[in-house]
Amino acid sequence: MADGTPLTLQHARHLLRRTGFGASQAEAQAFLAGHSTRGAAAEALLKFKPAGFKAGGNDHDVIHDKWIKYMLKVKAPLQEKLVLFWHDHFATGIAKVYYARLMANQNKLLRLNCRGNFKTLVKAVSKDPAMMEYLDTVRNYAEVPNENYARELQELFTLGVKDSAGVDNYVQDDVAQIARAFSGWTYGKAAYFRSWYHDYTDDWPQRGPKVIYQSTGGFGPAGRSFTVNGEGAQEVDAVIDIIFEHRDSQGKNTVARRTARRLIEYFAHPEPSLAFIDDVVAASGFDVDFEITPLLHAIFVHDDFYLTAGSPVGVATRKSVRWPVDYVVGSLRLLRMKPKGRYQYIDGGGYNRVFDQLSNMGQLVFDPPSVFGWDWETSWVSSSTMLARYGFARDLTAARGGGSTAFRPDKLMNLGLTDPNAIVTAATDVLGMTGDLTAGEEATLVAYLTDNGAVSTLDLKDYDTRNRKLHGLFTLLMQMPAYQLQ
Amino acid sequence: MAITRRQFLKGGGLVTAGTLFGPGFFGHGLLRSAQAALEDNDRYFVVIFLNGGNDGLNTVVPVDNVAGLRAAYDAARSSINITPTQLANSLIGLDPISGTQLGIHPGFNVPNGYFDNGAGAGGLKSLYDLGKVAVVQGCGYPEYSLSHEEARIIWQTGVPLGAPAGTGWVGRYLAYEYAGNEIPAVNIDDSIVGEFRQTGTSVLAVRDLENFRFPFDDAYSDDDAAKAAAFAALNQSAVSGAQPAALFIGNTGLATYDAAAAFQSLSGLYEGDRAAQSQLYSDVGRSLAYDLRQVASVIYGVEQGVPNVSARFFQVSNGGYDTHSDQGGADPNGQHFSLHAELGGALKVFYDDLASMPGNVANRVCVLVWSEFSRRIVQNQNGTDHGSQGPMFVIGGGVQGGVYGRHPNIEASALDDEGNTTYTQDANSFRSTDFRDVYGTILKHWVNLPPATVQTLLPLDATAEALADPAHYWRSANFDLGFLP
Repeated sequence: MADGTPLTLQHARHLLRRTGFGASQAEAQAFLAGHSTRGAAAEALLKFKPAGFKAGGNDHDVIHDKWIKYMLKVKAPLQEKLVLFWHDHFATGIAKVYYARLMANQNKLLRLNCRGNFKTLVKAVSKDPAMMEYLDTVRNYAEVPNENYARELQELFTLGVKDSAGVDNYVQDDVAQIARAFSGWTYGKAAYFRSWYHDYTDDWPQRGPKVIYQSTGGFGPAGRSFTVNGEGAQEVDAVIDIIFEHRDSQGKNTVARRTARRLIEYFAHPEPSLAFIDDVVAASGFDVDFEITPLLHAIFVHDDFYLTAGSPVGVATRKSVRWPVDYVVGSLRLLRMKPKGRYQYIDGGGYNRVFDQLSNMGQLVFDPPSVFGWDWETSWVSSSTMLARYGFARDLTAARGGGSTAFRPDKLMNLGLTDPNAIVTAATDVLGMTGDLTAGEEATLVAYLTDNGAVSTLDLKDYDTRNRKLHGLFTLLMQMPAYQLQ
Repeated sequence: MAITRRQFLKGGGLVTAGTLFGPGFFGHGLLRSAQAALEDNDRYFVVIFLNGGNDGLNTVVPVDNVAGLRAAYDAARSSINITPTQLANSLIGLDPISGTQLGIHPGFNVPNGYFDNGAGAGGLKSLYDLGKVAVVQGCGYPEYSLSHEEARIIWQTGVPLGAPAGTGWVGRYLAYEYAGNEIPAVNIDDSIVGEFRQTGTSVLAVRDLENFRFPFDDAYSDDDAAKAAAFAALNQSAVSGAQPAALFIGNTGLATYDAAAAFQSLSGLYEGDRAAQSQLYSDVGRSLAYDLRQVASVIYGVEQGVPNVSARFFQVSNGGYDTHSDQGGADPNGQHFSLHAELGGALKVFYDDLASMPGNVANRVCVLVWSEFSRRIVQNQNGTDHGSQGPMFVIGGGVQGGVYGRHPNIEASALDDEGNTTYTQDANSFRSTDFRDVYGTILKHWVNLPPATVQTLLPLDATAEALADPAHYWRSANFDLGFLP
């Protein structure tokens, strides 16, 4: 029984890193002291009460910075990681939606439902004004239906194009039929972008039979009709109910498997076995009631979740690449630093805005590149984006002003240390990298600190020694491959 | 590009000759064919991706043939249609089989003043009139996908059927030709694009050349060398380890450090020597123009012999083509007009820039423009949904301009159940152009690869369905479409 499996220190750190923005060795120890089993740990992490999102302003950078601030301050970082996941899953971009207000409202919707019921969430997102703008539901007229939302609802939000055996989950006719159900919707700006109605009276008689999944879905050749509850506004909910009953070519609930896979890829590692996926669906009953919290619990206690807990070099299972937002927020949190001022400058090096740095790393929240969201894993990694990460690490450690916007290693570790090996260990503890480095990598860093043995000890209380070498050590740690992984 | 020195050396018997006698040996005329191949080694190839699915029917439009293509066009496009009058200034050649006069979207021939200071005036049409643009009609592939992502990956990999290839069609060539430490390809983006993906050699993704330098702590620059040494050792450690993700990041880190040293001078060099040309890109003022200026900067650096810069392959993209709504017809304020204006304007400035570089670089640059699909023949309220085959453009001083390939059959009765044109390799009058024949023509005639090698890089369709039905699959290649000599 995985719930009762004792949590180890390494696993506690892994769990905190994957469900939050990283944890120092001290934070992992404190967490372990309060939660001795995987089950108790998962329950504690999932206990948070979803909180809303208040963002004024009409500009992308304003709501962007507001969300970053939430992430920097939040006590339950799992909420922010989940909202980020759903934002990627239901990718919606301000470039097309235009109104920041709509984007902020959608963020609130994702927040309040982030660990609730997935079917409820899909129904709510389908009527969310930002989504209706982004995928053209507001431009879907009965005469010639616009297929944009109907396609992505199936391809990206629920079923996927193909199941795990490579068999198509739906055909083009299903897209065309479902597009008809979503025709004629709009929303009113007066009521805070919330009102909507189904413009059924404008429909043309040749809408079609409204029967879907005659060749896939496990419903048999008769398929399913989405007018079982009558014609009109209720058709869209009926469509979603049917989608959630869809079975793949192996007879498994298609939505449950795909959603579980996506969550595992996000929280655990990018190449999960089918057994891992089926285990957590079965353990949580997600294929029956689609509750997100039990599904996450099942993931966080599963043995396979901890496959990638160890040192990168020693772990053969492919580890996940940290997302840019995670890299930025995690580093600031671990170093207990804040960006400066309302425009969130990093107070050193190039004096860049967090917004611009994240843009260069390839991720601006509220502005995913397309409806597919961001490309994960090594797609985050290129010469261009890595230079942005290297620069961010440099800027953080070059922040030498005063106060909470400065890099202050004295707040993080004992500056009385003089032994270079002990200094490297202390720095890796701060950055949550304990045990992540090989002996060779530690030797490289010791050689860096001592200028290849020119000195045997360091006086970190000396301003120049500290600023040259200790700041340099933190820079190198945050630039090295191991720190880009989680 | 073509056959590199290294590949020539790999080639067998001549290895010893090249190694023993050195480059000077080739001056004696004894190895003329080898020398000619090496002289080809100064070409460039630029891929432009129109992201979102460009509406081909409003990109290359039938003008006359009122009983055939034009009638079908008018029936399908009620509000976003472009009239023959609106096409009068952007006529191109005739559709080869039907003889229909064709026109490109009027956005491709913007008047002087559409962009600041007259930059890019005449756009793509002016390059067409110079004979430098090939319009390749009806490009597609069997069992087309209507998903942006799936279709894009198919075009990038050149493999429509079966399991995704995992490597790009250009990437497979790069891995075949170049070694790991070389940087033969650069794309202007945050991440490495699908066309270039492979694991054999380094591809550089650059967002902004001007700021492409390794960040050190300026307050302690006496420590830069120590940091650089440790940085390299830590990345090398990851490259030697078992963790696949760390290996990838380590390789990127090492290549990035070397590239930053080499590439950071390029923007300054270009801006210093070619300020007037640079200004024209700014006058067009669209992201595609800025990105092409960066390509021009790298090419200029290669031409000027900047050390360690030898890129030959480039990729840029332009977004906004997913015109489900508010597509617009010929209205200069419409979305599609604006998209075509920026593509044409940016290409005009780019071409003129290259043509005025010492050594007439424009004759040595070939540009390929593609999109992941065309759009639905029958419009929706004021836009178009996802479709199938569409036109591609090939542009360059060495290109034989004109119309190639056949216009797809857009008669209502000929469309498939989804309302899209159908793919066929049957020799009937509406035969499609398989996009792999376009790629293959470039690899054979521009890169100068032997056809057998091209075929290994672009494998024929080989599923059971394809073998049983060669008229509707890509079962025999034609790498001589004619737009390159």
